[in-house]
Amino acid sequence: MTDFIVETSQLCKSFKSKEALRGLDLRVPVGSIFGFLGRNGAGKTTTIKTLLGLLRSDSGSAQVFGIPVTDADSTVGIRRRIGFVAEDKELYPYMTVKQIIRYTRPFFPQWRDDLAQRYLQMFELPPEGKIPNLSKGMRSKLMLLLAISRGAELLILDEPTDGLDPTAIEEVLRELVSIAASSGATIFFSSHQLAEVERIADQVGIIDQGRMIVSGSLDDMKARYQRLQVVFADRVEMPARWADGIASVRQDGRMVSILASHNADAIVEQAESIPGTTVERFPVTLKEIFLEHVRSN
Amino acid sequence: MLWYKGWLETRFRLLFALGCTGLVLFQLHLIPPDGKSKIFGILENLTPIILLMICAMLSGAGIVTQAPFQAKKGLQASTIFTLSLPVSRLRLLAVRAGLGWLEAAGAIGALCCAMWLISPALRMMTTPVEMLEYAGTLIACASAIYFLSVLLATFLDDVWRIWGTMIGVAAFWWISSHTPLPAFTNIFRAMGKSSPLIAHTTPWNAIAFSVALSAILLFAALRVVQAREY
Repeated sequence: MTDFIVETSQLCKSFKSKEALRGLDLRVPVGSIFGFLGRNGAGKTTTIKTLLGLLRSDSGSAQVFGIPVTDADSTVGIRRRIGFVAEDKELYPYMTVKQIIRYTRPFFPQWRDDLAQRYLQMFELPPEGKIPNLSKGMRSKLMLLLAISRGAELLILDEPTDGLDPTAIEEVLRELVSIAASSGATIFFSSHQLAEVERIADQVGIIDQGRMIVSGSLDDMKARYQRLQVVFADRVEMPARWADGIASVRQDGRMVSILASHNADAIVEQAESIPGTTVERFPVTLKEIFLEHVRSN
Repeated sequence: MLWYKGWLETRFRLLFALGCTGLVLFQLHLIPPDGKSKIFGILENLTPIILLMICAMLSGAGIVTQAPFQAKKGLQASTIFTLSLPVSRLRLLAVRAGLGWLEAAGAIGALCCAMWLISPALRMMTTPVEMLEYAGTLIACASAIYFLSVLLATFLDDVWRIWGTMIGVAAFWWISSHTPLPAFTNIFRAMGKSSPLIAHTTPWNAIAFSVALSAILLFAALRVVQAREY
């Protein structure tokens, strides 16, 4: 197996006239916590469904555990090693919590009874409770229990904290980090909650209109990206051409705010060479990086 | 565990199917010991209709086949969870369709046993062996109806599937009764007038035709499920 547990290359998928994936290149390193970000309709769920064999790609390639994902039946072995939480959090309405745990368990040879018991108690799930009587938050917790207890090498979580209250979100995030640390499992999760992603992810990919627009280590990204605030003494005299690495420039009176995606030192040097300017550097949040890229795409 | 899931999905439908058989039994119960012609009426007309209902009821619920736009609520909403399990679609369909077929066959078998026990008139006009042959004929011929309904479940929701099954069966009945097709294609006749209880011979050709048709319908359902995207 390569260093990547999930790898796609030029992956394309269309639904009638809509292109959901347009040459997606995705690489999820083994053992990472990968935050998969994008607007609604960006192609996150389509990517996840393709990796699970629920959808067939039109062109390009996808591999999970180094095994090519081609169709539903060839991915049975892949799914045995994956824990999955679906976006809609729907489970069998005629089963109780206890019944669905008992039902899911035999499909996974690495099933962890200890984890199932632990999360049953931690999430305060009623074993005899019927699934339709559970709130959306409780159903999310139950799906997480069913995914985590599989003892999977890869957890694919589509909006895992959707419907959870802040306390539960805190618990879930802590557990995900703990699972990644203790079992070495890779966690690939999509979320709209950028603060959550920033807290636990070490790798981030931003998808927009079916293409990966930014991907890499979150620490590297945050080190490379900087917000530069240039204040001109009198009137704004911008250079004819800024140095490479500017993602966006906004002017507000005598103040110019620059988002540098890389090469911040050279940009600062250039700004400071303009007489009467002062330059300040600020760290950027993942939210700023996300919004900037999505807007400019 | 797929059998367990299938059982939870179909147990109330099976109960309903058994309830439907009660209608035949009640009608038989009312017939006096010398009412042979009335028994023929029930066997030719009421029994096939009840079998159609049994097949239509037991072939639906929870078959993991429907398109996502139909899978927003109820049993089908959990399709994505089912498909994320490490099970091939062939196995999912085979187990679910197989369980429904076994339940339908069980209901038909129970109906035949109860008919034999409840009706002195029937006991007088047939032998236990003929009754057994009759049950086998009903199960074999009803299989074509059952697997038609399974195929329809791959692209219709539950309500439309039941309507589709009834319309399909009515069309098939009309074609096989009113066109110069070989007699063995008329599986409805094989369940009624040509059945071992009335004709005192086993309609092997119709049974073979129905089994072959069932296999084709099941194969078609499988191809639909394997090609489907969710």
